[in-house]
Amino acid sequence: MRHTLKFISSLSLLFSMFLGYAQDVPEISKNKDTTTTEKPQTEKTVKTAKPEIQEAPKDSVVKTDRYGLRVGVDLYKLTRGLYDKDYKGVEFVGDWRLTKKYYLAAELGYEDKTTEDDRLTSSANGTYIKAGFDYNFYQNWLDMENLITIGMRGGFSSFSQELHSYKIYNPNPYWGELPPIAADQKYSGLTAAWIEVALGLKAQVLKNLFLGFGVQLKLLASNKEPNNFENLYIPGFNRTYDGSFGIGFNYTVSYFIPIYKKKTMASETAKKEEPKKKK
Amino acid sequence: MKKLISLLLLFTFGLSSCEKDDICDANTPTTPRLVITFYDISNPTKTRNVSNLKVIGDGMEQGIVFNESLAEDDSLRYVTSGSTVSIPLKVNDTISTFKFINNSLNTTSINTDVIKFRYTTQNVYVSRACGFKTIFQLKNVLPFVQTDPDGDTLWMTEIDLVNPNIESENETHIKVYF
Repeated sequence: MRHTLKFISSLSLLFSMFLGYAQDVPEISKNKDTTTTEKPQTEKTVKTAKPEIQEAPKDSVVKTDRYGLRVGVDLYKLTRGLYDKDYKGVEFVGDWRLTKKYYLAAELGYEDKTTEDDRLTSSANGTYIKAGFDYNFYQNWLDMENLITIGMRGGFSSFSQELHSYKIYNPNPYWGELPPIAADQKYSGLTAAWIEVALGLKAQVLKNLFLGFGVQLKLLASNKEPNNFENLYIPGFNRTYDGSFGIGFNYTVSYFIPIYKKKTMASETAKKEEPKKKK
Repeated sequence: MKKLISLLLLFTFGLSSCEKDDICDANTPTTPRLVITFYDISNPTKTRNVSNLKVIGDGMEQGIVFNESLAEDDSLRYVTSGSTVSIPLKVNDTISTFKFINNSLNTTSINTDVIKFRYTTQNVYVSRACGFKTIFQLKNVLPFVQTDPDGDTLWMTEIDLVNPNIESENETHIKVYF
């Protein structure tokens, strides 16, 4: 748990850096003549300043937003199978742009993982689906289409577990320590459901080709456990902890299939000088 | 942007170090021992202290350690003079035999009784860090067999089974009157 907290706080730190970058972008926009306050602002004041931004649509540039389907695959899961003999997995990701900032998003995957703990060796394998939405809070400059998103997902996994071997914990080993006991017990028909908060980043590196990174904080909502054992690993949810929290991440490469376009005024979006950051 | 991506990369590798922080907490109830409490035969409601009782498992050279703070060659390390002892049963067998040597440090009054415990075992899942524990159930028929190898009288006058289910060490499983 201590590690998880550390993780979360460093994550928020990291993402607050993105906000800093986001502020830089509008600096380059055209109407430098409009007067703005020169004093540096915090993230919060930037957010509240947004409505004012839209009040000055003076020299607007027509901007085209492309809508369509983006499909891809998680590179981390795919490549991990090459160097980790205890892991096989694949995850397909997809999103559909609903509105200017909202995307429907889903992930579909399969995982087969063997875990060797000190006293237990077990494996889990099964499929999962996650569906939800992403909100892009990154303000692109002109025709760039990068994303920094925050979103929610609901996840569901159907899987089975196998207990290969275990050790008896005996605090008084008067008769000597025993070797692990082979169990080879299979537990099928297990299910789990969870919700997650997903933070993501997708950068267009070539036309229509995106590289992405995402982290997810997960909260287990329901978990059908086997008798006299526990779900130690849930495909899609990953390792379980004492509480119901979990974490995950992915590296994706995805391809955007444009389907239709909408024109918007650039002034509606990334206008305005935001405060210039004095370094 | 590149700077950010490399930062994220770094960050992810830090993440993988998060695993493996499980250690089985010593307070977690795991494999229990058999708890025997000694009572006074002339006043059965009162517990009675044994004197320098040594308990040795069948086929073992050393007795069960009762005073862990003492050195390994100190004979007091293996004796107890309290009114209760906790005996570890074999987890991979259904029979455990122990020599109970009362007055073990006194050559004149030393007296050995042997008890064979008969039970069934069950392995129960505890947690990722602790693995499994074994719990025991003493058999309905002949849960224990008492013998006297050295031909003097039995020092344990009466043995009562209180609780055949050995699932924790918080209760007495067997009462011995002497």
